[in-house]
Amino acid sequence: MNTFDTLSQLCNAVGVSGAENAVAQKAAELLQSYGEVVVTPALGNVMCRVGVFDDKKPTVILDAHMDEIGMIVTYITDDGFLKVSGCGGIDSRILLGQQVAIYGKEKLIGIVTSTPPHLEKDSTAAPDIDEIYIDTGLDGERANELISLGDIVLIENDLERLQGGRVTAKAIDDRSGMTAILLALDLLKGRDTFYNIVVLFSSQEEIGERGAATGGFLSKASTAIVVDVSFAKTHGESDENCGIMGKGPMIGFAPSLSGEMSDKFKLIAEKNRIPYQIEVMNGRTGTNADAIGISGHGKATVTISIPEKHMHTPVEIVDLNDIENTAVLIAEYLCNCDSGEEASV
Amino acid sequence: MINELERLCLLDGISGSESEVREYILSQIKDNAEITVDPLGNVIAFCKGRKKPKNKIMVSAHMDEVGMIVTYINSDGTLKISPVGGIDPRAVFGKRVRVGKQGILGVIGGKAVHNLSADERKKPVSFDKMTVDIGADNGEEVKKLVSLGDSVRFVSPFCRYGNGFVKCKAIDDRAGCAIMLRMIRAGVEYDTYFTFVVQEEIGLRGATAAAYTVAPDYAFVLESTTAADIPSASGADRVCELGKGPVVSFMDRHTVYDNELYELAFCVARENNIPCQTKTKIAGGNDAGAIHVSRGGVKTAAISLPCRYLHSPCCVINENDFENAYTLTKLLLDRTYNK
Repeated sequence: MNTFDTLSQLCNAVGVSGAENAVAQKAAELLQSYGEVVVTPALGNVMCRVGVFDDKKPTVILDAHMDEIGMIVTYITDDGFLKVSGCGGIDSRILLGQQVAIYGKEKLIGIVTSTPPHLEKDSTAAPDIDEIYIDTGLDGERANELISLGDIVLIENDLERLQGGRVTAKAIDDRSGMTAILLALDLLKGRDTFYNIVVLFSSQEEIGERGAATGGFLSKASTAIVVDVSFAKTHGESDENCGIMGKGPMIGFAPSLSGEMSDKFKLIAEKNRIPYQIEVMNGRTGTNADAIGISGHGKATVTISIPEKHMHTPVEIVDLNDIENTAVLIAEYLCNCDSGEEASV
Repeated sequence: MINELERLCLLDGISGSESEVREYILSQIKDNAEITVDPLGNVIAFCKGRKKPKNKIMVSAHMDEVGMIVTYINSDGTLKISPVGGIDPRAVFGKRVRVGKQGILGVIGGKAVHNLSADERKKPVSFDKMTVDIGADNGEEVKKLVSLGDSVRFVSPFCRYGNGFVKCKAIDDRAGCAIMLRMIRAGVEYDTYFTFVVQEEIGLRGATAAAYTVAPDYAFVLESTTAADIPSASGADRVCELGKGPVVSFMDRHTVYDNELYELAFCVARENNIPCQTKTKIAGGNDAGAIHVSRGGVKTAAISLPCRYLHSPCCVINENDFENAYTLTKLLLDRTYNK
């Protein structure tokens, strides 16, 4: 499996929180060679039982969320401009002068309005998302024919290569987590795992981990590995607060996570010389782990995070090497987590 | 003319680095004009007509676009940049850019929104805090790819949308260049000077030299101008509107336009049923500012396309306005050659 190609297919698919159909279809397609795939009827999670289940083994969920942040149409003005609200915590500093795609009756182009510097009296405030308008180039009547309230609006940047192993696109959060899980399944072909594996590509993470809560329940698993992105250091930030891009997956340690699993992951990374970083959180994690951990009878849960820059913008950056190392680490864990050695904490 | 506009807009040429645009223009007009490229890089094209006019006429548009320039390479491999021309930093953050001669892809971003204080979330990132990330980890590596002074350009595909709208970077002022290319190809009745000038966005510099060299009696500047016909602006603050025809101003920040030409433009528009409008605010400015005070003074008019989101990666004009600007300019020239 080619990492860039898989990530590219996933990033380019549309899947704003609550409207994940297109990315779900792509996810189902990519999963079908590994096992039985279902799209859950209520919240639209994509779930896959990998291979043949052995009743004697415990079951683990590998979770990554499918949804991406975007916008939703809330109002159409008389002269054909749109007002929108955010789906997920969009970074509103990036909005002005962006080209957007409007998913109306057909796909339309729009522009986020801005006032040129020649006329702008105050450029010292970033606009709130409810202050912006989207220019459709249509008059009010035509706009109402083609666009409905509730339609999705998205800033679309397809995946492109930067220097080295770095790539940029929209929705790298969390299509890179999905890619890491698919790569891990590839690495596990023909290998015996300690667990039965359920893949959960979950919906609606960005608006409150809702797909993960229901998918976690449906999986009947006892254990979960949540793969998401986390903060990689950008210019001017301190090392204390961030991971470093290119230095490997970030193993989560938090009161809400299973310390045993975190320790085991660390041990396995060291044994296999897989680069890794530690990410400490002081309570919950702000990821699907929070919801999955308390779904059903509860689950021992760990987060494995891929360092990402510019989260929740259309110019997110990830390092393909980090995605690949995340896959290797997860695959090794699933094969060797019963090796019985104590973690070196 | 729309296809020509697409080709021109997708060329990169921030102020002072206009060579790509200049080479393209030269390749297009080499058989239709006597061409000089002056020391600043202005293209001065003399088109011989069938007749000699009473007045020497200069038509001018600028080749440069706004963008950024690399001022420093940080040890972590990111680039520091400064704006070239007037750019709102809010229109740059979260965008893709191309850097240097190799056109290396980079993105402009910063600290994740999650890690900002409530105050910081409301504050745009200013240029002195802004960096370009090209995916490299250390400055030494980057120095092999990028040099100080390299240009940084917006990435913005050309597209048509809505009811006759066109969007791209650099429409200001490649639209003016496209109109002039069409006029040159069509040929002129009377001798005419066409100048494709440099460095408008950093202070009307190319036009200053070109006007001195041409020494015209009359000048027509083809431009794009600020339209704010968006819901957040009303009345006079809208300045001018797309779809209501080319803009002819009586005054802006640099020029009080020749009154006779101003009146003539509206008269010609009326006679030929071409929509035409003026601006409802004294704002902006263009090469007319330099040309009309050249030598002993030049009677000057500007014919501008109303353009939304000027100086952002998404400039927007209306196709009808574009066509009407061409027609109006041609008719106005005809009435000025022997005025």
